[in-house]
Amino acid sequence: MTVQAEPGVAETVAPTGGRKRRRLRAFLRNPTFIVGTTILGFFVLIALLAGVLCPGDPQDMVAAPLLWPGQDMQFPLGTDAMGRDVLAQLIYGTRASLLVGISAAAVGIAIGTLVGAPAGFFGGRIDTLLMRLVELFQTMPTFLLVIVILAIGEPSMTMIALSIGLSSWPTVARLVRAQFRSLREADFVIAARSLGYSRLRIIAQEILPNALPPVIVAASVMIANAILTEAGLSFLNMRDPNVVSWGGMIGDGREQLRDAWFLTALPGAAIAFAVLSLNLVGDGLNEILNPRTEP
Amino acid sequence: MTMRIDLTRRATLVGLSTMALSGGALAHPPKKGGTLTFLQTSEPNTLVSLTTTATPALTNSAKVTEGLLEYDYDIKPRASLATEWSISEDGKTYTFKLRPNVKFHDGKPFTSADVAYSIQLLKTVHPRGRNTFANVTEVKTPDPLTAIIELSKPAPYLIKALTAAESPIVPKHVYEGADPLTTQNNNAPIGTGPYLFKEWVRGSHVIYERNPNYWNPDLPRIDRMVCKFVVDASARSIAFENGSGDIGYRTPVALPDLDRLKKLPQLVFETDGTSYSYNVQLLQFNLDSQYFKNLKVRQAVAHAIDRAAMVKVVMYGYGTVCASPIAPGLKEFHDPTPSPYNFDLKKAEQLLDEAGFPRGANKIRFKVPMDFNPVADDGRKSAEFLRAALSRIGIQVEVRAQDLPAFAKRIYTDRDFDFTYNGHSNLFDPTVGVQRVYWSKNFKKGVPFSNGSNYNNPKVDALLEGAAIEIDPAKRRQMFIDFQKIVAEELPDVSLYSPLYLTIKNKRVHEDSMTADGVESNMAQVWLDS
Amino acid sequence: MRMGRRIAATLKRTAIHAGPTMLGIIVIDFLFLQLMPGDAADVMATEAGAATAETVAALRHQFGIDQPVLTQLLNFLGHLAHFDLGYSPRFNTSVLDLILQRLPNTLLLMVTALSFALLLGIVLGSIMAAWAGKWQDRLLSVVVLLLYSMPGFWVGLMAIVLFSVKLGWLPNDGNETIGVPLTGFAMIADRAAHLVLPALALASFFIAVYARLTRAAMLEVQRQDFMRTARAKGLHPFLIQMRHALRNALVPVTTVAGMHLGNLLGGAVVVETLFGWPGMGRLALEAVLARDFSVLLGVLLLSSLLVIVANVAIDLLHAWLDPRVEAA
Repeated sequence: MTVQAEPGVAETVAPTGGRKRRRLRAFLRNPTFIVGTTILGFFVLIALLAGVLCPGDPQDMVAAPLLWPGQDMQFPLGTDAMGRDVLAQLIYGTRASLLVGISAAAVGIAIGTLVGAPAGFFGGRIDTLLMRLVELFQTMPTFLLVIVILAIGEPSMTMIALSIGLSSWPTVARLVRAQFRSLREADFVIAARSLGYSRLRIIAQEILPNALPPVIVAASVMIANAILTEAGLSFLNMRDPNVVSWGGMIGDGREQLRDAWFLTALPGAAIAFAVLSLNLVGDGLNEILNPRTEP
Repeated sequence: MTMRIDLTRRATLVGLSTMALSGGALAHPPKKGGTLTFLQTSEPNTLVSLTTTATPALTNSAKVTEGLLEYDYDIKPRASLATEWSISEDGKTYTFKLRPNVKFHDGKPFTSADVAYSIQLLKTVHPRGRNTFANVTEVKTPDPLTAIIELSKPAPYLIKALTAAESPIVPKHVYEGADPLTTQNNNAPIGTGPYLFKEWVRGSHVIYERNPNYWNPDLPRIDRMVCKFVVDASARSIAFENGSGDIGYRTPVALPDLDRLKKLPQLVFETDGTSYSYNVQLLQFNLDSQYFKNLKVRQAVAHAIDRAAMVKVVMYGYGTVCASPIAPGLKEFHDPTPSPYNFDLKKAEQLLDEAGFPRGANKIRFKVPMDFNPVADDGRKSAEFLRAALSRIGIQVEVRAQDLPAFAKRIYTDRDFDFTYNGHSNLFDPTVGVQRVYWSKNFKKGVPFSNGSNYNNPKVDALLEGAAIEIDPAKRRQMFIDFQKIVAEELPDVSLYSPLYLTIKNKRVHEDSMTADGVESNMAQVWLDS
Repeated sequence: MRMGRRIAATLKRTAIHAGPTMLGIIVIDFLFLQLMPGDAADVMATEAGAATAETVAALRHQFGIDQPVLTQLLNFLGHLAHFDLGYSPRFNTSVLDLILQRLPNTLLLMVTALSFALLLGIVLGSIMAAWAGKWQDRLLSVVVLLLYSMPGFWVGLMAIVLFSVKLGWLPNDGNETIGVPLTGFAMIADRAAHLVLPALALASFFIAVYARLTRAAMLEVQRQDFMRTARAKGLHPFLIQMRHALRNALVPVTTVAGMHLGNLLGGAVVVETLFGWPGMGRLALEAVLARDFSVLLGVLLLSSLLVIVANVAIDLLHAWLDPRVEAA
C-alpha cells in the first residue's frame, strides 16, 4: 500500500449529490480500478457459479491420477495424485479463498474499528489503554498468533477466517484511531456536538462514514493478505479437509513437484491473480479517494 | 515340550557364533571405510530408546546401545550381548549367558549387573516395558556373565522383545542415581555398540563414528554414520537422487515418487528388515457414540469399504488388505479369513434402514464427524477416501482436522468422537501390540493407544489374558484365531490394511538390514562400495 | 550533541516503557497458550506409539505440567528473573541454547532477504519514479505488482523446480551440507548456495513493498517546493532524485522495513518449512505442535524484545535522515 503522508482527506462538509456523481465518474475513469475490478469480478463470478460450472463434489476421485493438462480433454487441467479434477478444484477453491478473505477482513475491520474509534475519539486514558492493547497484539509475530489460535480451535474455514481476522485488526485500529483523532475537531463535529447529539451518535453517524475511505482501501489489502495467509496455512497442513482451497492444492501438489509441477503452478497462479486484482482495486481506490498522491 | 528343548539346543549352537549367520556367499567381500548418510524423517528427542518408543529414537538408539539379542527375518533370536539363552520348561525362568570382554565406550566392563539394572529400569520407565516385563519378579546375577530372569507367570512374548531398540541395555554406572528422563546420557550416550556418539546438532543431524574397541574385531566396517534429519519428503527424494542421502526406511519418500525413483539405476528398494513391527490401519469406533453403539450401523460401514481400492488409492498399492487387527506379516497368528462383511453397498443400505436411519429428504441418513490421526501421511487421504465411500450409502461425513495433541486429547481423554481413522503397531507379538486395544482392562482415559473404543467383551478378555501366559504355541495361536473371529464380527473397529514399508538405499550400501528390525538394529555389518 | 541527547532520551523512554510491556506480554501469552487442547505429555506419548498411565504421568511430572497453572506461571517468572528461560524436555536442552542455536540462522536469512529487497526495491522504485508515467514505469509497475501478489512460498517452490530440480544448480534443503567438513572459502560458498533460494522466496514480497513505497514517496517529494527550486536552479534531474528525493523517501521505507524486521521471527515460518531451514520460525511451529510452552514463550519474549529494539533503531535512523523530525 502506498504510504500517505497524512491521514486521508478530511472533509469538513458531508459530500453533496454533485460531488457524489463526480466521485462515481472518478471511479470509472481510473484504469487501475477498472482492471482490478474486472479481474476480481471474474473470480467472484466463478465462485458464485461454481455449482453450475462443475456440478458434483470436486473432491471425488474420478479419474486416473496425475494426468497432465490437455492429456484428456475431459479434464482440461489434468488430475492430481488422487485422481481429482484440477479444474473443478480450482473453481471451488475460488469460493473458499474469497470467502475466507472477505470474512477475515470483515472480522479485522470490525474489531479494529471497535478499538480504534473510541481510542481516537476519547483520547486520554482510554486511548493509552487501548493502544497498549494494540501494542501487545503487534509484538506477537502475526503468523504465529494465527497458528496458535488455530491450535486452540480447530482448522475449519470459520476458525481460519476468525484467526486471520484476530491477527490483523491492529493495523485497522491504528488507521481508524488516526482518522478519528483528526476528524473529532472538524467543523461538522463541533456543529453536531452543539446540537446536543449523543457521543455515540456522533461517532457512529457523523465521523465514522467520513473516516471510512482509508479503511476501504485497507480492506482490499486485508482480503489479499488473508488469501495469502490462508494459502500459507494450507501449505503447512492447517486446513479444513472438507473444503478445497488453492493453498491446499499447492500443499497436496508439493509431493509431485518434480514431474507434475502444474499441480502447484496452477493454484499458485490463481492466487497471484486474485491477489493482484485486489491490490489493483486497492490502488485504484487509493488514487481516487486520495488524489494528492498522483504525480 | 520337545519344542523348548530344541530351542535350548539350537540356541546354544547358534549362540556360540560371534557373528549373526551372515548371508555367507556374497558376490564380493565387504570393504572397509566410508561414511554412510542416513536420512531420518524427524528428529528424536533422545538418543536412547529407554523412555520412549518413538520411531526417530528407535532409529538412532541401537547404534550405541545394544540389546541382549538380535532376530532374523522370522523373529528367531540370534546372539548379541547374550551368547546363549534357555527357557525353563514352565516358562518362568530365562537364563542368559553373556558375551565376555565387552566394554562400554568409557572403558568400563559390561556385566550382568547392567542387564539386571536395565531390565528393572525398562519395567518402570519404558512405555511398553511395564507390560512386557510385568511378570518379572527379579533378575539374578550369579556371576558377571550370567543373568537369570525370574517370572511370576510365563511370558511367551518376552524372548522376542530383546532387540537393542526395544530393550536397550544401558550402563548401570551411568544411570544409577540419575533420572532416566533427564540424564545427559540421553543426549550423548555411551553403550557397547559398534558406533561411538560424536555430535548432535539440534535441527540438523547426529554423527556416529566407528568404535575401534567393539567386541567384534571385524566390525563395524564403515568409518562414520551421519543421520540427517530431513523433514520434507520431496527433499528426501531429491537427496536419494543426487546421492546426498544413502539410506532411509519406512518408505521415506512420497508414495507417488516411488515409480519414478524405481527407474533410477543407482537406487535399491528392499522389504527386508521390516518384520519386527507391522502396522495395521483401521477405522476405530467409539462404542458410546449414538450412531456406532448400534452393531448394524457398524456392519453397514464395514460393508461400504472396499479395502483393495483403498490400498490402491491411498497407498498406491503399497499395502496389504487386512481385515484383522493382527497384521498379515505376523504369519504365526494372523487369521487370513476375509471379513464376514464383504464390500456390498446394497447390504450396507439395507442394514442402515433396519437400524432406523433411513435416507432423509436430501438423501442423507445422518451427519457424523470423522477424525484422523495426523501423524501418518496417509491420515488425511484415508479420511477423505472413507468420506467418499460412506457418502455412497448416505452417511455424510465431515472430516475434522487437528494437530496431534488435540487429537490425543479428543480421542483418549475427552472421548469426544464418533469414529476415527487410526493406526496401531502390532510390534513383534500380538500380546504386546494388539491386546492393549481390545482388552477391557486397558480402557484408560488419557493414555494414547489404549482401548479407545471402550470395547468390553469378557470372552475376548479371557482369550487375551490366556494367550499372554500360554506357552504352548499351538494353543496360543488358536486363542488368537478365536479372538480375531470375535472381533471381526463385533467390529469395535474395522481393520483396513497393513502398509508395506520399503527401505530405499543407494546401491553402494550393503548388509544394512540383516535383522528383523532392519536399520533399527545396530547396523554393525553395513558396508559401502568404495 | 543533539544526536547524543536524542539517543539518551530514546533509550530512557524505551527502558521505562519496555519492562512492564514485556511483563504484560509474557503473562498474557502464558495464559493464552493454556487454551490450546492437549499438552506436551499427550504429544510425547502419542508419538511414542505406546503408553501406560504411569509413563504419561511421569511425562507430565517431568514437564512440570501436573502443577496448577498459577504455580507454573510463577515458576516461569522466577526463572526469568534469573535470565533462565527454562528447559525443554522435548528437545532435551535448555531453551536458551536452543534459541541461540537457531537464531543466527533466522537472522542470516532475514537480514539477507531484507537487505537484498531494500537494495533492489529502492533501485526499482527510483527508476519507476524517475520515468514516472512512461513505459519503463508501467512495465516495472506490473512486475512489481506481480511480485507483491505471488505467495512467497510459491515463488520458492517454482524456484526449487527450476534451479534445484531441473537445473540442479542450487540445493533445496537445509543451510549447509552436512557430514562433509568444509572450511574457508568452500564453507562460505556452500552456505551461500543454500541461502540463495530461501532468501529469494522471502525477498520477493518485500522487493515489491519497498519499490512501491519508494516510488510513491519520491513522487510525493518531487511535487514539493524545494524540489521545484532545485530544478529551477538547473540541477541535473538525476542528482535531484538522488540527493533530495531519495533521502526523504527513505523515511517511510525504513519505517516499514523496521516493522518487517520486528516481525522477523514469525514471518519466515512457511519459507523455513519449505526449505528445511533450521530457524526460529520452524522452531516456533514445532513448539506449538508439541505444546512446548517453554520454547514458545522464549520465542515470544525474544520477538517482543526484537520489536522494541527495531522501533528504537528506526526512531534514531529517522532523526539522522530527517533532522526536522522531532522526538515523539
